[in-house]
Amino acid sequence: MFIKEYIKDVWGAISSLLKGMKLTGYYFMHHNKEAITEQYPDNRKTLKMADRFRGEVVMPHDENNEHACTGCTACELACPNGTIKIITKMEPTPEGKKKKAIDTFVYRLELCTMCNLCVEACPTGAIKMDQTFEHSVFDRRLLTKKLNKPDSKVREGVE
Amino acid sequence: MFSLSHITDLVNAWLYQQFPPTLALLLQFVIVGILVITLFSILGLVLIMMERRVAAWMQLRLGPNRVGPRGMFQTVADTVKLIMKEGMTPNGADKLMFNLAPYIVMMVSMVIMAPLMFADGFQIWDINIGVFFITAISSVSVIGILMAGWASNNKYSLLGAMRSGAQIVSYELSAGLSIITIVILTGSLQVSEIIAAQQTGWWIFKGHIPVLISFVIFIIAVTAETNRAPFDLAEAESELTAGFHTEYSGMKFALFFLAEYVNIFVVCAIGATLFLGGWMPFHIGSWESFNHIMDYIPSSVWFFGKTFFLIFVIMWFRWTFPRLRIDQLLNLEWKYLLPISMFNLILVTLMAIMGWHF
Amino acid sequence: MMSLDAIFFYIISAFILLMGILAVTTRKIFRSAIYLLGSLIGIAGLYFWLEVEFIAAVQIVVYVGGIVVLIIFSIFLTQQSGKEMPRTNLSRNIFSLLAVIAGFLLSCSLIHQYGFEAGSQPFDNAVSRIGLYMLNTGKDGFALPFEAVSILLLAALIGCIVIAMKSVPTKSTK
Repeated sequence: MFIKEYIKDVWGAISSLLKGMKLTGYYFMHHNKEAITEQYPDNRKTLKMADRFRGEVVMPHDENNEHACTGCTACELACPNGTIKIITKMEPTPEGKKKKAIDTFVYRLELCTMCNLCVEACPTGAIKMDQTFEHSVFDRRLLTKKLNKPDSKVREGVE
Repeated sequence: MFSLSHITDLVNAWLYQQFPPTLALLLQFVIVGILVITLFSILGLVLIMMERRVAAWMQLRLGPNRVGPRGMFQTVADTVKLIMKEGMTPNGADKLMFNLAPYIVMMVSMVIMAPLMFADGFQIWDINIGVFFITAISSVSVIGILMAGWASNNKYSLLGAMRSGAQIVSYELSAGLSIITIVILTGSLQVSEIIAAQQTGWWIFKGHIPVLISFVIFIIAVTAETNRAPFDLAEAESELTAGFHTEYSGMKFALFFLAEYVNIFVVCAIGATLFLGGWMPFHIGSWESFNHIMDYIPSSVWFFGKTFFLIFVIMWFRWTFPRLRIDQLLNLEWKYLLPISMFNLILVTLMAIMGWHF
Repeated sequence: MMSLDAIFFYIISAFILLMGILAVTTRKIFRSAIYLLGSLIGIAGLYFWLEVEFIAAVQIVVYVGGIVVLIIFSIFLTQQSGKEMPRTNLSRNIFSLLAVIAGFLLSCSLIHQYGFEAGSQPFDNAVSRIGLYMLNTGKDGFALPFEAVSILLLAALIGCIVIAMKSVPTKSTK
């Protein structure tokens, strides 16, 4: 019947609106507990980033200044927008053979979209995503970074 | 109790004693004008601050907290910014209309303040058609919006103005009908008499269900009339940039902004006067001692408390509900609010005749 | 020395006349509507000056809130309404001026012949009296005109609905 439908309509509208107002009203009353604002940069010391956040690509080095990059260029191939460029060199091993190793791992931060594809492509886990995010510089050339530290070597046993 | 009428009478008597009557009248006009302008600026500062704080807390943010203690001077800083900005007039605009529009909107919201009773014995003009005067004058504000939209020579402005015109013209009906329910119960249009009729209890309690329905309809209709979310189609940011005030900047924009907030105050004050008893303290029938205790709270505190409660409710709407589409907006008015309020009007008339209210 | 009352009267009258003249002489149609609005508000101001507040408020509700908004809407919906209209030629100007003068003289003579007298008894403008007269069937009642006007309005409403209604495609019964 028409009248019954009409009243049901009005009732449904009012009750659903009240439900919404109840939620926002709860937030209003409990704003101290629930507020999620980070007061950056006041809380820079205690700032906790979310686990999923990706800030930049880094190459971890251990205490002997060694990394795990073999120069296979899998990350360079995986990168969708040419952020990574790997310059390799041939390095003599103690056995007298020559072995491929990286000379420079070029990482262009201004092109990176933090898609994580390079990290997934890396067979040796040499690169990973870091959570630093304060990247602003006055000269954009500074955004082109060299990830391997000077005189660093590939770790023993990493193939 | 604490009536402000002593002070106003004293000032009145002193003025007429000191000056010839004509000059005294003019001086009173000047005093009232200054008071209204002061109230305007204070309301602007307070309400914008309140809106920001409410919005922030409802969205789980902190809100302004940099300027002054707990961000209290944020709106002052904003006002300074707006005053210093250049007020530009676009080249293709109709210059006279463009510059006139904000002042019309502003003047309308000033004039509506006249019959409001801020406290016991503190009122600018106790005109005998009180609430009807308010509904009449508030229908002029749509002209200012239409002028602004047209004169900007901008399609967003024009669309926003058209939407806002259609909206205000249609929602005025149900706002008016819900005001009439109280007029029927009171038997007078005068604001002071409407308040005096609530001596034994506010209408929202005395008139139970029908008055409650008309109160809800009133709140919805005035939210639409002041162009606030969820009825902010006239200035829908995502569709029309800023609607009718897209081309305005600096102080002219500030006038629109201020008028919007003062309009909210005015309609909430009307709602508080009609349904919640204006400055009348909370009285329950014949409980003499209880009523006496309530009388100790000053009447202006009651008035502003009720008004700000209603303002909070309207802000609550804004930060909870999504915006309506234009067809939904008109459907809501013509298919739901108007038939319901007409039916409600008959119910209230019946109730007033049979004396079913308390 | 004029009293403040008289000064107010002349200010309001001058405002009404100025707005009226501007409404017919401006060449932008939207401005014309706004000047008309100013003139109507001035008349409402005159009613306020006469202390017939109810009539003044009705004037504002009906003319400003209703009719002028409708006029403005129709201006918005017409094409090329933002352009300046062409200047009227001389002969038309002269004839309209003559028409204005004739109308002015006619109303002047009518007012002069009638000779309005100032009422002696105090003026009662209570709203409830208007309501009582409006629905009174007695000697001074206006119940019949009131009902006639309501039927007219109802007819207009039904006409609007009929025009606006979409014809529902009837199911072919064959």
